[in-house]
Amino acid sequence: MSITENDVNQWASDYKDKSPQDILTLALEAVDNIAISFSGAEDVVLVDMASKIKKDFQVFTLDTGRLHPETYRFLDQIREKYGVQIEAMYPNADQIEKFIKEKGYFSFYQDDHKECCSVRKIGPLRRKLETLDGWITGQRKDQSPGTRTNVPVAQVDAAFAGPSGQLLKFNPLANWSSEQVWAYIRANDVPYNDLHEQGFISIGCEPCTRPILPNQHEREGRWWWEEATAKECGLHAETNKS
Amino acid sequence: MKITLVKKIKADGSPCQKCRDISDRLEASDQMKLIHQVIIADEANPASPGMLLASELSVNRAPFFVVEHEGGRREVYTVYFKFVKEILNQITSEEEELAEIMHDNPDLDYI
Repeated sequence: MSITENDVNQWASDYKDKSPQDILTLALEAVDNIAISFSGAEDVVLVDMASKIKKDFQVFTLDTGRLHPETYRFLDQIREKYGVQIEAMYPNADQIEKFIKEKGYFSFYQDDHKECCSVRKIGPLRRKLETLDGWITGQRKDQSPGTRTNVPVAQVDAAFAGPSGQLLKFNPLANWSSEQVWAYIRANDVPYNDLHEQGFISIGCEPCTRPILPNQHEREGRWWWEEATAKECGLHAETNKS
Repeated sequence: MKITLVKKIKADGSPCQKCRDISDRLEASDQMKLIHQVIIADEANPASPGMLLASELSVNRAPFFVVEHEGGRREVYTVYFKFVKEILNQITSEEEELAEIMHDNPDLDYI
């Protein structure tokens, strides 16, 4: 892959005010071996948009083994409607067995969700990303107070690497709000997860997801027993703080 | 090869927990002797050596390592276990690597 970090930084700048469809088009055209990461929730809009841009595109999902039945049904619904294969990535069996043996099924309520997520999500994610040159996420800046304010529309992924040693990451929805996502879903008659009709906004694993009340931030429906804005490793000059 | 470790002091003056953990790990494994230079990125002082280096290299997290190879080529490592595996040839466990990725990338929560 001959795309340099400077190219990606330039895209991030040039496309920061462009539409998700423009960003998605860039990603799908610039990187051959690229896949959409689909969580089975609102990021379905990426699948819908991609289907209107290109006939063949890759989609994968992280099946943690703890998803809601509604989410599994929704994944099948999307597979059928768009005629796409959704590759499911699973946790490493040995690691899960060890984890459950040592900590049980609900240790995240006592510790935090990171250890469980690292086994059930990050391991399978890394395994998939090691086969790709780029990936496309539904990450949005407004999803979590504190942790997503710097989501660029395109970046070189610093956490993972593809076969070439470099991995590109595109976040076409970075600048969209939840309201815009839902306006798109309604306007384009995009299927959505039935859990949304039960008050769920952000949807992940069943034990770590709950419905929320009107005007609560969607982050309050995930890992609600933890501090929402905990953040340690960023490097922020005090003079740049708002 | 020259290795620089950049550690962070938070804007309120408190030390960064991960920086401390990494220093402890390097000491415990007797690898601190392989680090040629440790400099501080003081979030309260943008002119501190670590902040300047982070700015120069477009690094937005700490701690991080800068590996300067013969000929001047520089590599930046923001993932500790990647650094020790690739540069110090240390054997690392997948659990440790995944835990670090999860800890350092809260944006992955919603993937």
